[in-house]
Amino acid sequence: MTLDSVITMIVILGGVWGGFAILIVSVVRRERRPSDY
Amino acid sequence: MAEGREQFTSRWGLIIAALGMAVGTGNVWRFPRIYATNEGGAFLIPWLFFLFAWSIPLLILEIGMGKKSRMGLVGAFGKLVGRRSSWMGGFVALVTTLITFYYSVVMGWCLRYFLAALSGDLSRFTDAGASQQAFESFATNGWAVFFHFFAIGIGAWVVHRGVVKGIERANRILIPTLALLLLVAAVRALTLPGAEKGLQFMFHIEWSRLADYRLWLEGLTQSAWSTGAGWGLLLTYAVYTREREDIVRNSLMIGLGNNSMSLLAALAVLPTVFAYFYSTLPPEVAYQRAFDVATFSGPASTGLTFVWIPILFSKFPFGQFFSAIFFLALTAAALSSLIAMVELITRILIDLGMTRSRAIIAVFSVVFLGGVPSALSLNFFANQDWAWGLGLMVSGGLFAVAAIRFGLNRVRAELINLPGNELNVGPWFNGVLGILVPMEFLVMLTWWIVQSFGFTEAWWNPFSTFSLGTCLFQWALAAILMLSLNNWMANRTLGTGRVNQLSQGGIQ
Repeated sequence: MTLDSVITMIVILGGVWGGFAILIVSVVRRERRPSDY
Repeated sequence: MAEGREQFTSRWGLIIAALGMAVGTGNVWRFPRIYATNEGGAFLIPWLFFLFAWSIPLLILEIGMGKKSRMGLVGAFGKLVGRRSSWMGGFVALVTTLITFYYSVVMGWCLRYFLAALSGDLSRFTDAGASQQAFESFATNGWAVFFHFFAIGIGAWVVHRGVVKGIERANRILIPTLALLLLVAAVRALTLPGAEKGLQFMFHIEWSRLADYRLWLEGLTQSAWSTGAGWGLLLTYAVYTREREDIVRNSLMIGLGNNSMSLLAALAVLPTVFAYFYSTLPPEVAYQRAFDVATFSGPASTGLTFVWIPILFSKFPFGQFFSAIFFLALTAAALSSLIAMVELITRILIDLGMTRSRAIIAVFSVVFLGGVPSALSLNFFANQDWAWGLGLMVSGGLFAVAAIRFGLNRVRAELINLPGNELNVGPWFNGVLGILVPMEFLVMLTWWIVQSFGFTEAWWNPFSTFSLGTCLFQWALAAILMLSLNNWMANRTLGTGRVNQLSQGGIQ
């Protein structure tokens, strides 16, 4: 693979999967605060 | 009208059900082929752009409308936009219902191929001709009807069990299973010799391609198709949310989760295609052959998934096992979306005054009968996919019209920025819903109409499989039907009062 493809892969997969993972973690944290609901 | 309404047991219940709604065959079947057809990496840019510029704003709006109105599509449009707009909700619902007819047929195919993979039948296909013939033979005989019956039967049974015991519980099993199966298939594909050629294809960006407007339109249609934005499905699930929900963050999760699954599916499929041809052909011809196969549409766009995947998997060790994994994942994806479609129709019938049990029986019967022609004729299937897949553009446009008529500031204040949100949308969201989304809709529709003149000489013919005429004819019939039923639907769902509380002060 060329360097530009490797960088694109890291940015795209990191952005989409990483963004999804961050949102999951934020929801897990919030759900642990029972006073919210 | 007043059904004792269930609620998802937790925020995760809603999110996992919504992910099930969004993740469907559009991710596993359509995305890898469209991605390849648009020559790889450059496609990712418009696809991701429209996730934020079309799909997520519409998902936010859908949750807001469903949560506020606590009614299905017809009731939600009537209650929020005005009784005279009930038909718009009816039109969106009809589009999704007509898609459900043939979507159940597709799930039947997936189920049939999963069983064939398990029994080893799929391993018999060693060339594209035999594989295509086998698919066409299966897809147009009584077995396709039987599996369609079975598929809608499963969907109706799940929905019959209710929101918590049926929809939520099924998706709690289906979605993690689907993610795991796709992960296994992707790891398998990426460890094949030559898989890096597939990755190179997937992530190499030819920047000049971004000047091609067709790439942007393909990105928009794929995003709309895959996330389910504008279908009314998320609006329906939002009817069952708890009072306090983080609407914006949930929508972001659904959109990004859906795209995560699409990328995983592409990683399972495209490296397999490239690995096979690079390991069997000289490099100078392998790329072209792999590209041809990855973009092979085949009958009714089934080429890559139902014709080539069985062949490719059979060429590698443990091919039967991984083929079964792939088709089981596809079946799980199809079922999780089919459940949402069945619930959408059921919810509307309940709003119209039916009990859930009767509504389910009606939905099962109508979807089964409505899907039979698609189960027996690939031409009919392709026509319906063409007409109603594109009809989703109109559905998305109607949501934008609803937001504008309700009032964009009111949308933010009364539907979206509510207690329970940690993320809110600012005034910029008015521009997204009021200008950007309608503009995207108009540009896409205009482009498509102009293009349609060149698809076939008989572009005007309403009985041609792929023509502008068939779309406009069928859309017009649907709109006339819903307009003529408008008052009846409004009276049944909202009562006979002339003015309802929510639309007071808004546009009637």
